[in-house]
Amino acid sequence: MSWHKPPAIFPWALVLSAAALALCARHAEAAGAPIPHGTLELVAEKQWIAAGHPFNVALHFELEKGWHIYWTNPGDSGEPPRVQWNLPAGITAGDIEWPAPRRLGTASIVDYGYEDAVMLIVPMNAEANLAAQGPAQIAAEVKVLVCREMCIPGKAQVSLTLPVKPQTSPVNAQSADLFAAARKALPRPAPANWKFGLSETNDSFVLTGNLGRRITDAIFFPLAESQVSNAAPQTLVPIATGFRLTLRKSDQLLKPIARLKGVLVLSGERAYSIDVPVGKPVVTSTKGAG
Amino acid sequence: MKRSTFYLMFVGLILGLIPRTAPLLLAAAKVGEPAPAFTATASDGKTYKLAGYRGKYVILEWHNNGCPYVGKQYNSGNMQKLQKQWTSQGVVWFTVLSSAPGKQGFVTASDENAYLAKMQAAPTAALLDPSGEIGHMYDAKTSPQMVVINPQGVVIYDGAIDDKPTTDLADVPGATNYVSLALEQAMAGKPVATPATRPYGCSVKYSDSSH
Repeated sequence: MSWHKPPAIFPWALVLSAAALALCARHAEAAGAPIPHGTLELVAEKQWIAAGHPFNVALHFELEKGWHIYWTNPGDSGEPPRVQWNLPAGITAGDIEWPAPRRLGTASIVDYGYEDAVMLIVPMNAEANLAAQGPAQIAAEVKVLVCREMCIPGKAQVSLTLPVKPQTSPVNAQSADLFAAARKALPRPAPANWKFGLSETNDSFVLTGNLGRRITDAIFFPLAESQVSNAAPQTLVPIATGFRLTLRKSDQLLKPIARLKGVLVLSGERAYSIDVPVGKPVVTSTKGAG
Repeated sequence: MKRSTFYLMFVGLILGLIPRTAPLLLAAAKVGEPAPAFTATASDGKTYKLAGYRGKYVILEWHNNGCPYVGKQYNSGNMQKLQKQWTSQGVVWFTVLSSAPGKQGFVTASDENAYLAKMQAAPTAALLDPSGEIGHMYDAKTSPQMVVINPQGVVIYDGAIDDKPTTDLADVPGATNYVSLALEQAMAGKPVATPATRPYGCSVKYSDSSH
């Protein structure tokens, strides 16, 4: 075979492979940047940025089966994703809104994190004088530890260019479902008529919840490290008006704490943020909501 | 028939419970309390007994050569530097290998000797703990978790190697090393200011580890 006379099939192969490459490129774009055993994509909730208004973006992680990343408190091992934003003047990023995690691990080591896929919503603010500047590029460098049996540190650059307009934007149809699902997984404030109390013994905290109904399934996720033993079983005692949950203190807790903050997940689905002072019962609000 | 079913269930319950609760039932090492005694075979073929080192400071370093947090300490040369610095002052340094067979970080004696030579590591000995017995005794959660035991045999530090819980080599130079701090303070007759921290890193790959 000579270079001058390629077989007749050659041009077709070229066209086909070009088409395949184009398809792959489109697919890669939609799937986001590679991270170890997964992908990361930066997605916007709305079609454009409305100058002078807050808006939301999210880091959408998709992971291969069995691999996980970590919550803000990673538990016994691992570390949470860390984000370095690169934003145009006039746009500022807020803190990550962490969905309720899952307990991952064994009898002796328990981590808090996410398997399969997770959306980390980040609220952003756009100043009113942005309108004149044209499209805005939202970029982030994300460091993330991805683990299964073993851990692999990854780093990805993700970005998104959005038009800036004076009027408010409709939602982005492609990401609307993702954002809606992500919001469902976010811990919400505990209803105003729920009451929590926290007492302590030498080796444990006892969290009492008065929710007006018997609770048979509750898991607590401590927001801060080194307060509660992650691996110790959480002992739940259902009571007529709620529950009593015994949380063993962390061996690393050497000084008393004033408050215990965290996420309470009921029946494996509804997550609530709670912040309970140690010692005396607390009423989240003086007026009951229902 | 019913009775045998009952016994089977009973035995099953016991068998099911023991491995899950054993690490919790054992008296785990705690800061301020006596360090649990152990005897271990090292990669050099010798047997080491913790009780034989009363009168000396002892460091335990949980190790897994595939863990990126361990890699950060060894690839930067920091762990080897600490090993040389402290063993030259009479401190005993045990690297502890608690990965179960088939898990990341599990090594044979000759694998470990080759690793120690390649990395120019200088612990007193590298203890082989494939059953995870020593790991569970100390409730070791991660590599590189670090424990410091004083000459009276009491745990005076248990936790992270330093205050930078990342895999980034660039974080080594600016980090506060909790192990050195504990040793310096204890040797100066002062109380250890930070005796316990969250031991960041990779989970120890015990036989029941799934993550």
